[in-house]
Amino acid sequence: MSTGPRRRRIRAFGLRTRLLLAFLLVAAVSAGTTAALTYREARNALLETAQDTAVSSFRDQVQQTAFGLPLRNGPGLEEVLRDVARKGKPHPWVVFAEYGSLRASSGENPVSSVITPELRRAARANPHGSFERVVKDGVPYLTIAMPMVFKPSPDSLLPSGLVLYAVMPMTEEQINVDALLMAARDGALPGLAIALIPGLIAARSVLRPVRELRQAAHSMGSGQLDTRIRVRGSDELADLAGTFNESAGQLECSIKELREAGERARRFASDVSHELRTPLAGMLAVTEVLDEDADRLDADTARAVRLVSAETGKLAVLVEDLMEISRFDARAAELNTDEVDVAEAIRQTMQSRHWTDDRFRGELPDGIRARLDPRRFDLVIANLIGNALRHGAAPVAVRLRTAACPAGPPVLIIEVMDSGPGIRPETLPHIFDRFYKADAARTRSAGSGLGLAITLENVKLHGGTIHAGNVPEGGAVFTVEIPLHAEGAAG
Amino acid sequence: MRRARKRRRTAAVVVVVTAAVSLLGGCGIQETDVIEAGGPASFQAFLNRDYDILLFFRSPDGGLSPVIFTTGSSDGFGADYVESGSAGQEPGDTAGAVPTEKVVAALLSGPREEDLAAGLDTSLPPAPRGGTIEVEILPGRVTTRLPLALEDLDSTALRQLTCTIAYSQAADGQVLVELTGRDGATSTGTCGLALGSAVNTPTQTESGPRPTPSGHQ
Repeated sequence: MSTGPRRRRIRAFGLRTRLLLAFLLVAAVSAGTTAALTYREARNALLETAQDTAVSSFRDQVQQTAFGLPLRNGPGLEEVLRDVARKGKPHPWVVFAEYGSLRASSGENPVSSVITPELRRAARANPHGSFERVVKDGVPYLTIAMPMVFKPSPDSLLPSGLVLYAVMPMTEEQINVDALLMAARDGALPGLAIALIPGLIAARSVLRPVRELRQAAHSMGSGQLDTRIRVRGSDELADLAGTFNESAGQLECSIKELREAGERARRFASDVSHELRTPLAGMLAVTEVLDEDADRLDADTARAVRLVSAETGKLAVLVEDLMEISRFDARAAELNTDEVDVAEAIRQTMQSRHWTDDRFRGELPDGIRARLDPRRFDLVIANLIGNALRHGAAPVAVRLRTAACPAGPPVLIIEVMDSGPGIRPETLPHIFDRFYKADAARTRSAGSGLGLAITLENVKLHGGTIHAGNVPEGGAVFTVEIPLHAEGAAG
Repeated sequence: MRRARKRRRTAAVVVVVTAAVSLLGGCGIQETDVIEAGGPASFQAFLNRDYDILLFFRSPDGGLSPVIFTTGSSDGFGADYVESGSAGQEPGDTAGAVPTEKVVAALLSGPREEDLAAGLDTSLPPAPRGGTIEVEILPGRVTTRLPLALEDLDSTALRQLTCTIAYSQAADGQVLVELTGRDGATSTGTCGLALGSAVNTPTQTESGPRPTPSGHQ
């Protein structure tokens, strides 16, 4: 559980990141587009205003000027040009005059280095005022060409061959345009930052239901079938939550039905074995009496009586086992633990069943103490050894040891090995199944067919595990591992 | 599928970047082409048609430049060329006060010092002394007989003559000018420098057929 949120937060392209990126992208595109378009329009308007002002004021200025033809170079002409230049709008210009081979200006140099040949050609080729923006050494200039005409008669115009040029540095416009650019940028960037907030909110509104769904699915998986999600709103996630709740309800329903069916079956088995026990007890008493008197009967009758007696005894064992296993199924089995010396307990089990001869070898180190249910532990050991005697061959070795477990407390390990042929591989997966006969031909074995199943349930009840396998030399080995934590908790 | 999606995503990124660059590109003040902005500017020329005439000389770029030639009081300049008995000398309402013969004589005498100082020149050869200039005025048409061989003149020289004669006859220059040379060659045309009509083409003068010296004209 603790690794879940961390992993989600680290995830590089999770839903949250993608949502945020999408929001940022949309915000960047819209803010950038708006800022860029606004900037462009404002810049163009600014430049156009400056240009139009300059061109029209230049035309007005030169139209109020008089020139003789041919133009005479000299201080007079320069004075006229300077006069025009001084009145320049929006900033003072430098005015250049070109006439024939004559060049004059209001400034230092008679010929401008900014005016392009294209502008000159345009001014010579057609009698229109024209302008061109030129950037020279990083400084933008507006250059205006004005071909000059005069009126030989009141209603006709004649080109005079004189072209006047005005050159105006646009430094002030450049400052204004730069300020516009800064303003556009300073407007767009905070917009981006602000777009993060709705992005986060949207991500949250999407991620919260998803997180709830995840937690709900998790708790369903861990068995809380009554888990339901609160349905909020009417969006697709709410639909999903509704569907989840429906499915959970149906799942809970069918599992309840299954449980009830299982419960009924278990109760039936339990009831049947209970009902069988009383008549069996009577039958057992009777067959024991008959058994004792069998010697006085004739041979055939005596054999029949002994058979009835043996089968009745087996039936009683089977009923006992059935009752035991139905208690496990009903989860009614309880663990009555006590701290015991494990080696001592195993020895007692073997002695009580007279398994003390040389068919049995024990490696039972003293001093291993654990909290166990003595009755169930006795059953486990007896069952495993009895099993080894029945299906394997002597000698049977019982080995006890403890081992450190990498995750968790140390475990108690008990191994029961026989010297028989071992368990067939196809039998191994089913060895703990109920009524499973390892030898299909021998349908009537000595046991009830429930012994290993009960052993498994008893070991599980102790929190341990049991494995069946074969040793390389032949012979089956059953390994029981029971955690020793009960001992730690007790002492 | 995945590759297609990746490619689509790449394409989207390219589009966005291109759009951003094209929107943000062109920051600051950019250069422009030559942009036309209104008509030319007209200035006041000191032109008094009572005693000023317009002569057309060749400017260094090959075009014609009008200059103002003041006759004022008789300074004798070009007076030799004036033929007192020439026909059609009627000071009409359209023509200037200065007789056309005198104007042509002034043109043939070539650019003055101030014209030369401004780089103006003429394509006409110096006029032979004692040549006669005859001007005949018809409605909308002027015929001028020149003491020159028209055959040898280039188009600029013909336009100089045509425009000078046209502007001496009509204040707006809208008159058909017919030139006849000493060699009998003729050239007919209008000046066509004025704005507002079919202008701007440098060779408006239409040269007529050059007949042999024994031609009937």
